[in-house]
Order: sequence, then structure tokens, then C-alpha cells
Amino acid sequence: MIGFDKAGKRFGTLDAVKEFSMTIQDEEILGLLGPNGAGKTTLMLMMGTVYRPTSGKISVNGLDVVQHPNDVRKMIGIAFQDPRVDGILGAFDVLNWHLKMTTNLDKVEREDRVEKVLRAVDLWDARNKRTWLMSGGMRKKVEDCKVLAQRPKIAVFDEPTAFLDVPSRLLMWKMIRELRDEGSTVIVATNMMDEAERLSDRVAIVNLGKLVAIDAPEQLKGKTKGGEVLELTVGNGQEFPRECLTQFSEVQDVSQENNKVTVYLSGGRLLLPKIVETLTNRGVKIDSVHLKEVTLEDVFLNYTGHRLE
Amino acid sequence: MSSSTIQVTDSSDLSGQSTSRLVLQMARRDISTLFRTPWIIISRSLAFIIQLFVFAYLISGLVVKFPGFFPYYAVGSVVSVVASISFIIGYDIFEEAEEGLLDYLLTLPIPRREFIIGRALGGAVRAMIYTIPMFAIVAVLENFSNSLSLMAAILDLFLLAFGVTGLSITVAVSVRSANRFDVVLALLELAVSRASTALYPLAFMPSYVAALAPFSPVTFAADSTRAALSGSSLDILGLAGLLAFVAIFLGLGATFYFRRLEGGVYA
Repeated sequence: MIGFDKAGKRFGTLDAVKEFSMTIQDEEILGLLGPNGAGKTTLMLMMGTVYRPTSGKISVNGLDVVQHPNDVRKMIGIAFQDPRVDGILGAFDVLNWHLKMTTNLDKVEREDRVEKVLRAVDLWDARNKRTWLMSGGMRKKVEDCKVLAQRPKIAVFDEPTAFLDVPSRLLMWKMIRELRDEGSTVIVATNMMDEAERLSDRVAIVNLGKLVAIDAPEQLKGKTKGGEVLELTVGNGQEFPRECLTQFSEVQDVSQENNKVTVYLSGGRLLLPKIVETLTNRGVKIDSVHLKEVTLEDVFLNYTGHRLE
Repeated sequence: MSSSTIQVTDSSDLSGQSTSRLVLQMARRDISTLFRTPWIIISRSLAFIIQLFVFAYLISGLVVKFPGFFPYYAVGSVVSVVASISFIIGYDIFEEAEEGLLDYLLTLPIPRREFIIGRALGGAVRAMIYTIPMFAIVAVLENFSNSLSLMAAILDLFLLAFGVTGLSITVAVSVRSANRFDVVLALLELAVSRASTALYPLAFMPSYVAALAPFSPVTFAADSTRAALSGSSLDILGLAGLLAFVAIFLGLGATFYFRRLEGGVYA
């Protein structure tokens, strides 16, 4: 189990993470969802003992990361957002050296494991190509493969499918799930909604260095008011008469961001004609209407007040 | 990959992993990068041979006040090369920090102190490997007296390399701007090599250089290596100076490293 207890990290005058409390259960995939700069990477690097927390406590399987950093490091493998690989080395050598440092495998076992993982991600034929000559997607695969080959107790992936094409992305998700099934606790930082929703057992929404919400994706969606979302685009971002919609008992909440209006409601199909009629009568020009079930993106918008771009 | 073939690493499995093994792995990483570009060793060795047998040979003929300048210069130039190559580890570390590779290295299960020793050791061994062809030429030119004197000379060079890597790491983690780092390291390299007895004897130096030269680690190494190769008595002062240099700068490097890392400055 991993525990963050009011953990904080300050760089100069900037609070990258502030009073962050969260528990990560064993053998779950936790998605850390947040925009760039939300503090996801800082959280992971504090847990991985690269940065020391400036306040609060972080424990990994009962060990405090400040007091027992090296014991914590033995349990964790981190795949970074930007590949951190020696450009002068080939993929095979990068992974082989990583396993030398992080496991006690003998040469045969180590090389066998490297071969298996490189074949799985279709990099075996390019195993000796220097990584600085590889494409962004290939380098990203090598980075992810470090953790996939290591099979650590706690596996951390920072945006594991950035730069990957769709088939590679699906494969990577499958391999991450296998890692969890074998007993690893997996943390995946992402700013992609579908990745968080389809891969994670639970999702933690992080914004401005703070934990905003944490639960299973379905639970998060279920907690969102109404269960349905009506998206309206109104002409020229004109000021929206909010009260003309909140008069309906089925409407739970209304928010506006420029010319996009989001209405959280229930029974949307029946209510939609009434809403359109009411707004038209009030002189609001409606450019488009879209009624849908709540998505994780709506959850994010609901909790943070802005969309995840 | 099949889940039935690979097991999650149990962290208790790593308890048997000795720290010294990890230090050596860390050092091997720095050393292996050298062999990825063997043409650098070959080209620098050729440049050294040209420098020695053209420039030094001609100059030694012009130096009338100091008979035997050629062998003096030959030993000193090898010592200078060792110092110069040992500085490279600082550039490596600075670059790794800028590129984020250092963050990765710091997630590996190796204690910080051993991490730094591994990097310094790797940098020093790399410098030695790099210099061995040049040293071999010079040792033959000097008619080294016996294998013991050869070993003593190698020890001198290794201590110099180890200390300079510590100094280089100290600068790499103390200076934050890339431009300033380049300037500081270049000036330091110039100071320890030129304000030393590597390439010219103390008696012929201008007074302001002669005042500094006796304290340069390159002076300790150059004088000690010459004494060792000629088979004269062991240069205790030189060796002691080199050991102190190693201890001071490895210690300083480690301290500055911790301070900078724990402050999260690399973010």
C-alpha cells in the first residue's frame, strides 16, 4: 500500500504539490489524471525518492520514503514521460543494464527477459539500433519496457502511450494490465481521458497540485449530478440566462465556458425540446445541441471547472 | 508476453545485491560509453603521438637551459591528458541533469554516496583506459626501471583521475547555468594543468604561476609519476597530496550533490 499524507513539494515559491493525501491499494491500477503541470510527475518522483517532500509524509509498503529511500527504490520502477535512455546505447543494452541495476537475475534470465519484452513490443529487430536514432514512439516503447522487463512491485508509468500509434497503445495497455494481474501495483499518470477510463481500476483527478477526486471511473461518473450532460453551443458566446434552465427540476447544474454551455441533468430526452424552446424565446441563438451520458471528461470539468486539453 | 513466464520482482530478492556490485555497474556504464566511440581514442592517441614526436621533439631541441626536456615533457603531457579526460565526467553529469537522465539514474536502488563513488570511479577508469596507449609509449621512452615503478606511476595517474572527477562533479552540481559551467570548468582545467609542473619545471615559471603550481594536483601527479618511472625513491609528498585531493573533492562532490538533489533543483 502507498500512502500520501498531506504531502507537499515546493520549488522556490511554487507549490507543485500541496497537502496531498491519498492511499493506493495493492495490485490496483491507479490512474493519475490531470493537465500538464498538475503535479503528477512531482508526486511520482517524490514516491520514487528522487525529490524529497517539503511537507507531509509518503510511505511505500510501510516504509517512509525519506527514512528508507533505498529500500523504497528496490520496490519501484518508473517509466518516464520523456524517454530517459542513453542515446548511445541500443534498446537491448539499455534494458539489460536496467535489469542489472534493479534485479538479481543471472545473465541468461536477464537476457531472456529482455528478449521477451522487446519481441512483445516489436522492437527485437531494432534491438541494437542506438536509441537516439529511433523515432519518438520507439524510444517511448524502450522507456516503458524498462518497467515491463523489471516487473517491480510498484510500477509507475508517466504517460505510457504518448507518441504511440493505436495498435501499440492497445498492446501497452494489455501489458500494463498483465503486470497488475501478476501482482504489481501500477500507477499511470496521464492526461488522456480514454486511457484513464479504460486502463484504471481507480482514477485520481489532480489539479494545481491537489487531489480533487478519487474513485472508480464508473463511480466518479455516477457521482456527477444528473447522469446526463447537455452540451449547447450558443452564438458569439452571449451571456447565458442561467436561471431559465435551473427552473426545471431535472436540471442539476449549469456552467458556461465562452460559447459552450454544459447542463447537468436527468431525463434529457424529454426535457430537450422544452429547453430549446425556452432559450429560443429568450433570444438565445443555439448553434448546436449534444445530449450524452456523463464521461470522465465531464467529471473532470465538473470538479475542476475547466476542460482537460 | 505471457503472464505465466515472468514473475514480479520481489524486493527481498534484491537484498542479496551487494552495493559494491552496483557501484561497479554504475562505473561500467560510464566506461562502456567510451568503447562505443573507439575512433575518439584512436584519433586522440594519434594526435598525442604527433604532439610528442613533432612538437615536443622540436621544442626540446630549442630548450638549451633544461637538458632532457623531451622526457620531462612526455610524462607531463600524459598527466595533462589524464586530468583533461577526467574533467569530462562533469560535462556528462551536467548534460544528464539537463536531459533528465539523472532523474532516472536516481530512481535506481543504489545509495546516493555509492552512486557518486561509482560515477567518479567510472570517470577515472575511463580516463585511464583512454590514456593507457599514450602512457605505454611514454613509459617505454622513459626506460621505466621495473614493473613496480610502472605500477606506482599508474597509481599516481589513477589518483589524479579520481580526484579530478570528484572536482568535476563538484563543479557540475554547483554551477547552474550551462554557459557558466563551460567557462568555469575550462578555466579550472587550464589552471590545474598550466599552473603545474606538468609541462615546464617550477624554476622557469613566472613568479605568479610558481606560487600556485606547488599546490596543483597535476604537479603532485607529474612529479610523482616522473619519480616512479625513473625508479627513484617513492614521492611520498606527491602521493599524500593526491590522496588529500581525492578525499577533499570526492567529499565535496558528494556533499554538493546531496544538497542539490534533495533540494529538487533538477526539477
